Amino acid sequence: MAAATRTAAHAAMRGALPLGFTSTAVLLLGAVYCLFPVSWVLVAATKSKAELFSISAFAPGTGLLSNLADLAAYRDGVFWLWLLNTLLYAGGGALLSTVVSTVSGYTLAKYRFPGRNVIFNLLLGGILVPAVVLAIPQYLLFSTVGLADTYWSVLLPQILHPYGIYLARVYAGAAIPDTLLEAGRIDGAGHGTLLRKVALPLMLPGMVTIFLFQFVAIWNNFLLPYIMLGDDQKFPLTVGLYTLLAAGANQPSLYNLIITGALVSIIPLIALFLTMQRYWRTDLSSGAVKH
Amino acid sequence: MRASRVPYLFLAPAMALFTLFMALPIGYTIYLSLRGAKVSGLGLGKGARSEIFVGAANYTDALADGALWNGWLRVLAYGLLVLVVMLGLALLFALLLDTAHVRLARFSRISIFLPFAVPGVAATLMWGFLYLPSLSPIRAVLDVDLLGPTAVTFSMANIAVWGGVGFNMLVLYTALRAVPRAYYEAARIDGASEIQIALRIKIPILLPAIILTTVFSIIATVQVFTEPTALRPLTNTISSTWSPLMKVYRDAFVTGDLYSAAATSIIIAAISLVLSFGFLRVVRDRAFGEG
Amino acid sequence: MRTNRLALAALAVTLAAGCSGAPQETASPSKAPAGPVTLTYWTWVPNMDKIVKVWNAANPDITVTVSKQAGGDDAAAKFLTAAKAGNPPDLVQAEYQMLPSFVAADAVADLTAETAQAKAEFGEGIWGLVTLGTDAVYALPQDSGPMMLYYRRDLFDKFGIEVPKTWQEYGEAARTVHKKDPEVFLGTFSSKDPGSFTGLAQQAGAQWWSISGESWKVAINDAATTKVADFWGGLVKEGVIDGQPYFTPEWNKALNDGKLLTWPSAVWGPGVLSSNAPKAKGKWAIAPLPQWSAGENSSGFWGGSSTAVAEKSPNRAAAAKFATWLNTDPEALELLVKEGAVYPAATKGGALLTEAPDYFSSQPDFWQQVAAISATARGFTFGPNVNVTYNAFKDGFDQAVQDKAGFAAAVGKMQEATLADMRKSGFQIAP
Repeated sequence: MAAATRTAAHAAMRGALPLGFTSTAVLLLGAVYCLFPVSWVLVAATKSKAELFSISAFAPGTGLLSNLADLAAYRDGVFWLWLLNTLLYAGGGALLSTVVSTVSGYTLAKYRFPGRNVIFNLLLGGILVPAVVLAIPQYLLFSTVGLADTYWSVLLPQILHPYGIYLARVYAGAAIPDTLLEAGRIDGAGHGTLLRKVALPLMLPGMVTIFLFQFVAIWNNFLLPYIMLGDDQKFPLTVGLYTLLAAGANQPSLYNLIITGALVSIIPLIALFLTMQRYWRTDLSSGAVKH
Repeated sequence: MRASRVPYLFLAPAMALFTLFMALPIGYTIYLSLRGAKVSGLGLGKGARSEIFVGAANYTDALADGALWNGWLRVLAYGLLVLVVMLGLALLFALLLDTAHVRLARFSRISIFLPFAVPGVAATLMWGFLYLPSLSPIRAVLDVDLLGPTAVTFSMANIAVWGGVGFNMLVLYTALRAVPRAYYEAARIDGASEIQIALRIKIPILLPAIILTTVFSIIATVQVFTEPTALRPLTNTISSTWSPLMKVYRDAFVTGDLYSAAATSIIIAAISLVLSFGFLRVVRDRAFGEG
Repeated sequence: MRTNRLALAALAVTLAAGCSGAPQETASPSKAPAGPVTLTYWTWVPNMDKIVKVWNAANPDITVTVSKQAGGDDAAAKFLTAAKAGNPPDLVQAEYQMLPSFVAADAVADLTAETAQAKAEFGEGIWGLVTLGTDAVYALPQDSGPMMLYYRRDLFDKFGIEVPKTWQEYGEAARTVHKKDPEVFLGTFSSKDPGSFTGLAQQAGAQWWSISGESWKVAINDAATTKVADFWGGLVKEGVIDGQPYFTPEWNKALNDGKLLTWPSAVWGPGVLSSNAPKAKGKWAIAPLPQWSAGENSSGFWGGSSTAVAEKSPNRAAAAKFATWLNTDPEALELLVKEGAVYPAATKGGALLTEAPDYFSSQPDFWQQVAAISATARGFTFGPNVNVTYNAFKDGFDQAVQDKAGFAAAVGKMQEATLADMRKSGFQIAP
């Protein structure tokens, strides 16, 4: 019996080597596929105007520094203002969104009360309505209260995110043992204290995930700020870069600036990903496994 | 936990945001979908244009619109392609990452996840450049017009797969990591090969996560908009009603018929609901068995 | 927000005026508030900030703030939405073809009283674009886009072809070129640029919309337009004219590589060419568009825009004053030419352009030629739903170019879509 087991294990080990090799190869192939267009932007950003459409796609050009200088100088450096605005929208929006999602998710997971499922389904149902549909009515509503074309008009509608609440609920369900809350209550802790002292610390990794999700979503959102904002000093990057692309019928699109701008605009996201990588958890379904 | 007012208090921010930025705009959209513009005479000058109640006319028009149905058919083909390829690859990568003896796993994982950080518009712009016949480095290997009438659906699906595979991979991978290793050890000792373990143990464990990613992918596919819109200026093969959401955008933002746009978007939301409802139920039953 | 701040400013000024006992200014007929005002201006003209700076320095009472927008179809939608919601900018850049939609939505103000003086500064054809053939004036013309033929002089020599005088000659030349080198085309027909097609139809004498009494007449499939469509459709079908759209990276590459020999375009062409095909500098030249019959001399417009004042703007008089300065004052016109790279619509604007663009240094009389061509451009009236027509153009011609099956059906679709939309809204349509 023991011998048989050993042989089987041995066979598995022998089989593992080529399997490991194949797995590595397939994954690397996937990595190459995913990096391919990104590397193109990287190369394209180095090309000058004359080179962009005349030399082959993956031949590096000589214009990176001048492209960056042009971008920095464009309309007295408005690009950096757009970058700052984007940081504000994405950072502020994601922070608020995380707080709202976490508290809601925790409540939905750990409290029993009439209407719980109705509320959850309602909040989750929001994901079914395309953003394109909501943008115009949201704009009209903001206008009636005089808040259109303000920072608030971009921040507020992006706080609520069905996916964030969903994630938070699953995470709270899996990460916070009921016994711990029970013990806290016996010790006389109030609901607020339980939330702050027990739930939030346990949900921290999940909160980081929600924050990153929302940060990326808001960073990349185009339509809402496009509709809401008239003042170009409040534009985020996506809308700003669009003004370069759609320069008007009789003006050339500023391709060099767009490509360089697109590259610069994804760098902060990539940096954020790499630094937050170890906190990044998407184990929304780990809760599902345990049940 | 039982408490009378506390859960409602905790949910108040989310509900307030939901009411203001979801329910109200949706309500307004429904209202708009029942109305239409009425013009008298030349339609120039003051008071020549008014808004009237048209009943279900916008809905009957939308349902009778051949272009919209063709759009649904295209999205169906595109959606099946994306769902199968993207989720298939995501599952494959997740399983490979989870095998022992895989090298450079961290590099591959981050690389495959990287496209998630790239905004849809930027991704389409990049791929668009790479598809163009005279600029394409792909063309050197593969002699097809990637933007031709049949190829364009595949080209578009490729962009969606590229953008989504990493995210779904990570969801599945983290779900796998949450499974205690001992689970597989037992199988290995019984002589199961890695492939058998993957097929017989890991995939069944992943089932809830797979269903979940499927639901979110279905919703995203029904709402496909960015890729065809951003590719459209580059080719003759994508019409302004290629996907249903593109028609909504066209009506609302190009031809100025907000009312038809509202009706069509309600139909899209309804279809998303129908398509994902079955899946969603399954997911909820599994994830929140406690009901 | 803006209105609140303005109200506050107005209040402060009134109080100050009251205290110091200064004589109150009598309100002008168009209810301009006394004292300093701030105007917002949506535009996508490059460097408009610099032009406005000059105005602001000279007019401390009327401060204009520029907000640079993206151009194109969605720009109009954005303005219309803002107007509907009640907080549009005071001033907006309006492409001529979009102006009727703005008027139909009651989004722009009638400036008849404010522009009585300015009318003399513009040609009749251009002025018609801002009056829509009515007695009202809805905007001040800013720039215009008379069309001409851009061609590669060096490659014309290489292929041994003459500059075509008629469209028939153009078609012959297209066959010659493509036969000599199947990689090279004389030109391409873009199904993405309805403006270009409209200009070519104008040249042939098309009048897509006209007003008779209280009803619109729609004739997009008239004989002139059908003639233009059949001509290009035939060449695309034959395969001697390419079918790729303008302004794509692919098109830029073809220009750079010398694979496209002509571009029927408008006066703003040099900016596009120099930016997208810098390698071909000095090799391009202009000539009048080929004509439909020898001896004729006409052209059309592609592009061009005006400055309109929002109906809801509380500062109509101030806004009209700025718009008039911007589009008629010699100093402003010079700035528009130099900083904004636009071809001014005002008649005296042409005189400001003397030195040929750098890219066209080999053609020193560039602007004289432009002036001569500009005088031959035909007038046109745009209808209230050009966006529907243009969208139908893109969908119909996309398909037609792809199928290489002639363009007549696509023109028919444009007519149908336009009429159907107007009927649905209830516009009165002449039989």
